[in-house]
Amino acid sequence: MRGLDILTEFSMKAGEKLEPKNIKIDDTTLRDGEQTAGVVFANEEKIHIAKMLDRIGVHQIEAGIPTMGGDEKEAIKAISALNLSCSILGWNRAVVSDIDDSVECGVDAVAVSISASDIHIEQKLRKSREWVLESVRTAVDYAKKFNLYVSVNAEDASRADMEFLLQFARTSKEVGADRLRYCDTLGILDPFETFMRVRTIIDIIGIDIEMHTHNDFGMAIANAIAGIKAGATYVNTTINGLGERAGNASFEEFVMALKYLEGVDLGIDTHLFRNLSEYIATASGRFIPAWKPVVGANLFVYESEIRASTVMKEPKTFELFRPEDVGLERKIIIGKNSGVNTLIQKLKSLGLKIGQKEAEELSESIREKALAFKRALFDSEIIEAYNSYMKSSPEKSKIKKREG
Amino acid sequence: MAKEKSSEKKVTKDRRSVNIIDTTLRNGEQAAGVVFSKHEKIRIAKMLDEIGIPEIEIGTPTLGPLEREIIKEIVSSKPSAKLFTYCEAFPENIAFAVECGVRNVIINISTSELHIKVKYGKTRTWVLNQLRETMSEARHNNLNFIVSAEDATRTDLEFLLKVLNVAERKGATRFRICDTVSKLDPFRTFLLLNTIINTTNFPIEVYNHNDFGMATANAMAAIRAGAKSLVTSVNGIGEGTGNAALEEIVMALKYLEDIDLGINTAKFREISEYVAKASARAIPVWKAIVGTNVFAHESGIHADGVLKNPRNYEVFEPGEVGLTRQLVVGKHSGSHTILHKFKEFGIDLTINEANDILSMARAMAVDLKRPLFEKELIYIYNEYLEKKKIDEEEEVEV
Repeated sequence: MRGLDILTEFSMKAGEKLEPKNIKIDDTTLRDGEQTAGVVFANEEKIHIAKMLDRIGVHQIEAGIPTMGGDEKEAIKAISALNLSCSILGWNRAVVSDIDDSVECGVDAVAVSISASDIHIEQKLRKSREWVLESVRTAVDYAKKFNLYVSVNAEDASRADMEFLLQFARTSKEVGADRLRYCDTLGILDPFETFMRVRTIIDIIGIDIEMHTHNDFGMAIANAIAGIKAGATYVNTTINGLGERAGNASFEEFVMALKYLEGVDLGIDTHLFRNLSEYIATASGRFIPAWKPVVGANLFVYESEIRASTVMKEPKTFELFRPEDVGLERKIIIGKNSGVNTLIQKLKSLGLKIGQKEAEELSESIREKALAFKRALFDSEIIEAYNSYMKSSPEKSKIKKREG
Repeated sequence: MAKEKSSEKKVTKDRRSVNIIDTTLRNGEQAAGVVFSKHEKIRIAKMLDEIGIPEIEIGTPTLGPLEREIIKEIVSSKPSAKLFTYCEAFPENIAFAVECGVRNVIINISTSELHIKVKYGKTRTWVLNQLRETMSEARHNNLNFIVSAEDATRTDLEFLLKVLNVAERKGATRFRICDTVSKLDPFRTFLLLNTIINTTNFPIEVYNHNDFGMATANAMAAIRAGAKSLVTSVNGIGEGTGNAALEEIVMALKYLEDIDLGINTAKFREISEYVAKASARAIPVWKAIVGTNVFAHESGIHADGVLKNPRNYEVFEPGEVGLTRQLVVGKHSGSHTILHKFKEFGIDLTINEANDILSMARAMAVDLKRPLFEKELIYIYNEYLEKKKIDEEEEVEV
């Protein structure tokens, strides 16, 4: 495929079959998720989240930053001591003392993180490229003495000079790193650039790649998918997409996108998604938007006439998966955009009967109410509107009694 | 900076103009449970117009007299943006658009087998006839029209091209591809759009949904494939998971695809807040582009990086979208943030003092399960000074 125009190559990847065994999830809700400005998990919450992630089927949990010490270190120790079936990873700067802290926590894997872009090297670290490579060598070498699985994190890889990024990857590989985490730290890639940069690293260096994407331009999921298409084998996710600034690739969105768009089933128990999302939402103090992809409460709620009546006939017309697949429910609500057929159905579900002509009249008064209240109506309000409409004409009331 | 050095490795980007048609007032309001009042609709239209959005969908006239009254009022305010109404492809629907005084309509029809069968209970022939008749009616009334193919991404390509051909021959100005159930990823989007555009050369518009969080990325892939127009909504509001968010699309085009539409983005936060209030849907603090947390930095590494140079962790200045930068002191903060914060309070700390205060602040943040208010930092400082004084006194006594 080499030598083809990148756009041609990109389109050739459309619908390409991917191997489930080659894709693993490393969830970082407990590390990058908690690193979000304003979010703090209690230690017991961290332990509970780790157990849930393990039960649902993630492959690796990034449990925190051991070198922070204090409560953080205690939590990581406790999680390691759970003996879960997934791997437990501790996050480190490329500093030997950080790795000592990780070892002390009993993790089986470490991330060794250091910036790869010149802007970070010069303006944040105030060091040189050579210093960066030397730090990688020393840290990986040290971690390997403890038989740890090592991921080298290339922070700000998206703004790194490609030649240097290749050198960075080569150094990591030579010194024995198990994988390279490609960090799109600022969320500035689109799927095209992601695909090309990741493919270049895999082609030239040949090292396992993990995608760490951010959602600053709303592309975290698409970029993670593009990385996988380019040959990456790990994806770093968080529940609800929790993470610094606009957040990371959301676990539930990524799993469902793989399953329903790419045809790859990772064997994750998706029925627990809503449950897990609610737990994280509460623990992080960040609500789940009703419209949140995959787990939002409103996703299977229908109001507009065409959608509601069509979906009642055949859910597949507007749904790629069933609400129960992710722990949600399908619901019809009555509001400004509702029509006569939806109203008749809704009343029926409430045990109330109405004729076509009456429904049309009632529907108009319900629309006025929705506009006045600026929202959809509660069932009790629909019943009330129905009763007062029926009362307004004695004849209709008689029909109702006879039918009832 | 470093990014430019590797520019020879970058994917070539065509510099092209992209049209934006915003549907906050039509599909945005169609979100289950959302109702805009008349005043709100008029205000939103005005705001979109003022920041330079070229085209706006303002509503669905067939919804009833109340909706038509609002549409008429927006039309009479004579914005510079081109105004569109929306209708299903039934010839009798055109009269309602005409009554409202709009010159542009979107004629929508489902094209997938499943929709034709279940939604309409009809055949492909019926779809084509229905479309032809509705377009004739629109032409008869001197309306410009876009043809919108609903569930296009699950439509047999040959039939989709046929519908497009009919639309083109009957005088449609654009053809809208609706990814109604979010069936596409960027790879499939690119392939589909590239195929259609290479086959027809007719102006294509894409309409994305966000069911798998890829609305914006798919829109970018469509632009790379040569699409001319994108459908957006403020905050991404719309049915189900919503549409491609206006603010994400405009900023992604500008910063990732080098296409600057000249829109006044400094108003983004203000518009987002207004639509959030009117739709009773809060803006998540982490919402891409306009969330208040997007420029909030807590962790030691990030905050330190931003203090040295904001470009370390920010692509553009917060003011560009109407936000401000904040440094938050919490569990993950580092000593540089403490030094900086106290400097803002007019207190110069030594590095040792900063470290001591940092560990107190971290412990407090864990205990409270939240970052600290500035006042709480001052309390900590006072406590620290008292403790230090006592320690010193004890030392003297010894």
